[in-house]
Amino acid sequence: MLVNTYSKRVFNLAYQFGGSYQEAEDLTQDIFLKLHGALGKYDFEKNFTAWLITMAKNHLIDTYRKTRWEKAHRDEFDEQFAAPEAAQGPESGLMQEADRKLVWEGLNRLAPETRMAVILRDIQDKRYEEVAEILDLPLGTVKSRINRGRLQLAKILKDRKEDAHDL
Amino acid sequence: MTCERIEELLSAFLEGELGQAEKALVESHLAGCPDCTALLAVLSRTQQALADFPELDVSPGLKARLAAIPEQKKKFSFSFDFVLKPSLQPVFAAATIFMTLLSFYLFNPDKKNIDRAIDQKIHSGYSQVEKLYAKTGSFTDRLGDTADNVFVSVKNWKVFGGNEDPTYK
Repeated sequence: MLVNTYSKRVFNLAYQFGGSYQEAEDLTQDIFLKLHGALGKYDFEKNFTAWLITMAKNHLIDTYRKTRWEKAHRDEFDEQFAAPEAAQGPESGLMQEADRKLVWEGLNRLAPETRMAVILRDIQDKRYEEVAEILDLPLGTVKSRINRGRLQLAKILKDRKEDAHDL
Repeated sequence: MTCERIEELLSAFLEGELGQAEKALVESHLAGCPDCTALLAVLSRTQQALADFPELDVSPGLKARLAAIPEQKKKFSFSFDFVLKPSLQPVFAAATIFMTLLSFYLFNPDKKNIDRAIDQKIHSGYSQVEKLYAKTGSFTDRLGDTADNVFVSVKNWKVFGGNEDPTYK
């Protein structure tokens, strides 16, 4: 039951954070091993999903600090993401795909805590309050961290587009 | 308002979280600042790109591995059950006493003196053994001599056809 309900969330978080499909599978397995070991310590008054995602977040950031994934490349964007739906025409669709590719690669430039906050808020669509609970940070800190991460990504996108335009 | 301050407010502006006063300030700044306006447009596209990342499915192989974890855990904990066997408790107790004594010796600040005392004990024991061995050796020799003398005396008895030496009478 745990696997069916939570494996997708944990796997996607690991994949979005690290950028490697194979690594994300191994990390998901590690996180579930930890989960089975820690179930006895779970406080039933707490939100289980937030508790699990906090555990996953801690494991991902700890592993990142030990292995320094930023030196490794993220998987090629096209390998895992399907072509976007061209609802606004093929040209707009191609532009959105190019944006997604650049933002995907740009995620590796963010500090791990900032990257995690942006992923939880903007990719996993969690409320600021939930992100603050998972990261165990004050709401104001979370908001400014997410804003800083988005601005960093936006500047990467802007610079790459300008470079491409200059060429 | 400076561009740096506006940058701090752009996310909240896009999400409609600013109060009326701050919203008006940002709008008036954007009206006269093409850089901030361009940044706002790129920021909006960035958020859109992030929101468009699809959720991937978990592969059947990973699902199977995750489902097998509780069984693996059981096997793992079973392998340590022997530790709890009562028959092994004397062994653990002896090992604990030995380790305690060893730690007293290894971590004692007066370890050099203990070493010296042990050395002396070993040497004195060794010399005692040597003395004992030497004594045993001389006793064996004397026993051999005595046995020879007895043999010669008996051989010289007339009963056995010997030529008894009168001086021994």
